[in-house]
Amino acid sequence: MLEQLTHHLPALQTVIPLIAAPLCMLFGSRHIAWTITLIASLATFVISCVLLAQVIDGSVISYHLGGWEPPLGIEYRIDAFNAFVLLIVSGIGALIPFYAPASIKSEIPKSLHSYFYTAYLLCLTGLLGVTVTGDAFNVFVFLEVSSLSTYALVAMGAKKDPRALTSAFNYLVMGTIGATFFVLGLGLLYILTGTLNMVDLADKILLLEDNRTLNVAFAFILVGLGLKIAMFPMHLWLPNAYAYAPSAVTAFLAATATKVAIYTLLRFLFTVFSFDYPFEVQTLEWVVLPLAIMAMFAASIVAIFQTNLKRLLAYSSIAQVGYMLLGVTFLSKTGVTATIIHLFNHAVTKGGLFMAVGALVLRYGSPNIEDLRGAGRQMPWTMAAFVAGGLSLIGVPLTAGFISKWYLISAAFEANHWVPAILIVASSLLAVIYVWRVVEAAYLQEPANPTRQIKEAPPMMLISTWVLIGASFYFGIDASFTTHAASAGADMLLGSVDNSAHIILEPSHSLIPHVTPHGQE
Amino acid sequence: MHHHLILRIVSKFLIPPILLYALYVQFHGDFGPGGGFQAGVIFAAGFILYGIVYGVSHLRRVLPPALVRALAALGVLIYAGTGVVSMFLGFNYLDYAAFASDPAHASHGQHYGIIVIEFGVGLTVFAVMTAIFMAFASRAPEIKDTDW
Amino acid sequence: MPLTHETAIALALIIPFAGMILIGLSDRNSIVRDIISVLTSLLLFSVTFWLLREVEAGAVPELILFDVMPGLSMAFKIEPLGMLFGVVASGLWIVTALYAIGYMRGNKEAHQTRFYMCFALAISASMGIAFASNMFTLFIFYEVLTLSTYPLVAHKQNADAKKGARTYLSILIGTSIGFQLLAIIWTWVATGTLDFVHGGILSGHLDDSFAPVLLALYAFGIGKAALMPFHRWLPAAMVAPTPVSALLHAVAVVKAGVFTMLKVGVYIFGIDYLSLTGASDWLMWLAAASILIASIVAMTKDNLKARLAYSTVSQLSYITLAMALASSLGVMGGAMHIPMHAMGKITLFMCAGAIYVATHKTNISQMRGLGRTMPFTYAAFLIGSLSIIGLPPFGGAWSKWYILLAAADTGQLIMIGVLMVSSLLNVAYLLPVVAQGFFLPNPDDLSEPAAKGSISTRIKEAPLLVVLPPCLTAIGCFLLFFYAQEIYNLLAPVAFGPETATAVLGGSPS
Repeated sequence: MLEQLTHHLPALQTVIPLIAAPLCMLFGSRHIAWTITLIASLATFVISCVLLAQVIDGSVISYHLGGWEPPLGIEYRIDAFNAFVLLIVSGIGALIPFYAPASIKSEIPKSLHSYFYTAYLLCLTGLLGVTVTGDAFNVFVFLEVSSLSTYALVAMGAKKDPRALTSAFNYLVMGTIGATFFVLGLGLLYILTGTLNMVDLADKILLLEDNRTLNVAFAFILVGLGLKIAMFPMHLWLPNAYAYAPSAVTAFLAATATKVAIYTLLRFLFTVFSFDYPFEVQTLEWVVLPLAIMAMFAASIVAIFQTNLKRLLAYSSIAQVGYMLLGVTFLSKTGVTATIIHLFNHAVTKGGLFMAVGALVLRYGSPNIEDLRGAGRQMPWTMAAFVAGGLSLIGVPLTAGFISKWYLISAAFEANHWVPAILIVASSLLAVIYVWRVVEAAYLQEPANPTRQIKEAPPMMLISTWVLIGASFYFGIDASFTTHAASAGADMLLGSVDNSAHIILEPSHSLIPHVTPHGQE
Repeated sequence: MHHHLILRIVSKFLIPPILLYALYVQFHGDFGPGGGFQAGVIFAAGFILYGIVYGVSHLRRVLPPALVRALAALGVLIYAGTGVVSMFLGFNYLDYAAFASDPAHASHGQHYGIIVIEFGVGLTVFAVMTAIFMAFASRAPEIKDTDW
Repeated sequence: MPLTHETAIALALIIPFAGMILIGLSDRNSIVRDIISVLTSLLLFSVTFWLLREVEAGAVPELILFDVMPGLSMAFKIEPLGMLFGVVASGLWIVTALYAIGYMRGNKEAHQTRFYMCFALAISASMGIAFASNMFTLFIFYEVLTLSTYPLVAHKQNADAKKGARTYLSILIGTSIGFQLLAIIWTWVATGTLDFVHGGILSGHLDDSFAPVLLALYAFGIGKAALMPFHRWLPAAMVAPTPVSALLHAVAVVKAGVFTMLKVGVYIFGIDYLSLTGASDWLMWLAAASILIASIVAMTKDNLKARLAYSTVSQLSYITLAMALASSLGVMGGAMHIPMHAMGKITLFMCAGAIYVATHKTNISQMRGLGRTMPFTYAAFLIGSLSIIGLPPFGGAWSKWYILLAAADTGQLIMIGVLMVSSLLNVAYLLPVVAQGFFLPNPDDLSEPAAKGSISTRIKEAPLLVVLPPCLTAIGCFLLFFYAQEIYNLLAPVAFGPETATAVLGGSPS
């Protein structure tokens, strides 16, 4: 029986939240909905842990949906890379049922709470589905499931701030445009190859010579996914969506949605296409690299001038996405490892940060930095969590953000790209500015309204926040798990590529006389 | 619009065939164009026509919003649940071969499976289309009907 | 009590940290809290002193904790230079802890618990820096030190404090992330290791023409060494209460900076590699310029703490210059300057604080004739000044002597000139304070007829806890003159190579 269960785990990963969602809506009571959400999220998390344990040694799980053999049927394909991403998504998802109740009580009308849980579970289904599937069109389906439920989730912040409605609509339009580009690209791929299974696509694409349709397909897929990732300059939906959505939604989305989209991009870049595809290499070097660097700087600079704390963090997320894209453009194992590690580290850090901000919004009633003055004294634990998360954003040692920065800069040096290395540290210093603005306001200024009694955050919210912030410290001090998982993931992605530093680029001028392949394991 | 006599009479004639046609489309999905999505929309079209002509309040009496909500959820549950039943019967998720009572006629399993899930799809699509209509139609109008 | 090396190192890190927690818990009872502060410092010093004895006997205490990332471990290994820094930091913490109690109470400062907690954390970080066995560990604790001293600089929480703290943090984090991190990762990628090895790890792994660039990244990245133009944080940090200045300018922060500079010079680059590649020639000139410019600016400052701050910038550049000379004698002189300068500067700052507690005066022009009413304070100030100037029989003479020797040894005659001119400038900005205090009439006294009472009734010193520590450290300056031989013996392996260890220990070679 247990063996049966283990066999079906890949399917159950998405089925459990998928079934839980309509159940929440069926019963209509928000308490029952919460219970169902709790059970489903925890079960999902356990499943992803088991799956990761099975594949971290390099094996691959293949589950045939509907009993149809791939490439005809839809295949759920789990290797070390997507198992790691599953862990991230379900991990954050497991914390939301603990965090959400107190937060949404003040931000969403009570009648909508059961819909909140329904939409949240659907979003979870979608995100997990994108991650777990090995069929390209299935990716699109689940991507849309998660996106549509996200639009609904964002719109639920309308009671607190009516701008949530316009933000959700804006997000809907842009997201749909992105999805359309993506599916058009998929369609072109299907025309060229006749298959939708990712592994099969990879084989067939290798056989194609320099093919314009293939290039167009690649470009469309890149643009479509780039919009979901909030790759500069297609990031315009993100700040408003994050700022006006309910805090619990922002915390969940910031930690998962863009990460899954980046996962999808990496999947397509490496598993479907590959580094042997020259158009991809050129695009990465000439398009994605400059855009990533622009994102890092432009977003950080804009963040400095924000008065709304949630928007500040949203722009910070755009900059962090820039870092993740930068890692890929180095075309080396260290670079891809850096991207994957930052996927995890940023998810944990940003999740914790937005949770802390949610607690501040709950007590102070406003996300504006002006209104949050003196929060350091009135809500010490919450602000301490924020500061800790901020330090991780900057990349101070002993935090997870430092590990990501280390790998990123190492990858830059290994590929002899010393200009990006300098740019990485320069943009980290910009992060110091916007984090420290908040720190000064919270600790070095008097409260805006001194007579108001502000209590500390509710215990459940505080604990969820500190679980994530604690994780960002833990994985900054002992990064063995994350580096191992990320390395394994990078290995899976890069396949048979040699372990040494760079793959394709010739060193233009060498800072290093001979590239030493040192054991990264 | 209930004071438009011709519309009322004609809709009384039209709505039953619409619903019937929807059922036809629903169950002939594996033989011809059709299936759950199209059928659900057509089925909903019948109800929406009723709502437009007779008023949303009438529609709401026929189809209480709570029922609509439940049907939407139920449809998804039917679809997903079919897959779960497959799993319980020892096959992979959504493997319709599980429903073949006789292994020699495996295609029968496919038929049963598809019919059930398409029914679930049709149910949900119908419920959601009607819900969307009811949501928009319930907004207070600024121009009275008599002014038209 | 039998101590293993590992336990001792772990204790050296944990004791101040535990002290911080206990201080936080005893927030309600200020006397208990202050006692815990002092006790922790005493406990720490006993551990470091024990370790010192071990190192002098030839042992190399080591503690390997765990790998943070593959190949990058948090590990500790005490070599003589680190031991020296550790002893200086922990020893002077005792003095500062006593002084802080007197000062904070005398000034009725707010937020004292937070103050002592951050103090303890900063000392813990200093221990981590002192004992680090690789650049990675050192960098971790270097950043912890910056962050833990930020609340100390911003302590008063007024607009000036905010501004000063902002400058402090932006320069220190800006340099450490902007330059030092790049240098460290470059080293890591080029050589595959970050361990401190005497003689350096770079030769053969780095294109020689890049060595000056890498050194520049390190030198500017070690912002705590206050090399110009990244020195502004030091005067900006003067907004902090004086015990913090004593800590920053004598004990923890600046010494951590120049200590790191020396470690990089000796254990990452290696003195031979530096002289071979000439990587540090430009640094020599920059340090020399820094010495002179800072001294000149010091002369223009009327605010006593600002003058002492610029004096510190100048003195720190002595050590950087010594390292940049790329000679063994330079390493010896620079390393020796760590305890000598520490002892002298802490005396000067504590005296400045004592003056503030007693009279609330901060500018030298207001302090005329104060020497007659505060003779002990001014006597200590005089001794500290003489040590900084480099006159025997005070400790500062020896370190300056070795740096001069190093300049002569490497043929850098201009540097000898720089050092001589700088000593004259030291006289010019330090001795007038003493002279004005003793010989000029006190403007406050002029309005009253001169009291004809005995000297003891005219002395209006600061409270005992504020005057005693600087007097102790002044005596320390004197004693260090005679202890210099011990320090020389301890540092010999660092400066002249590990082979010299057994030769100078005076015991049996095995």
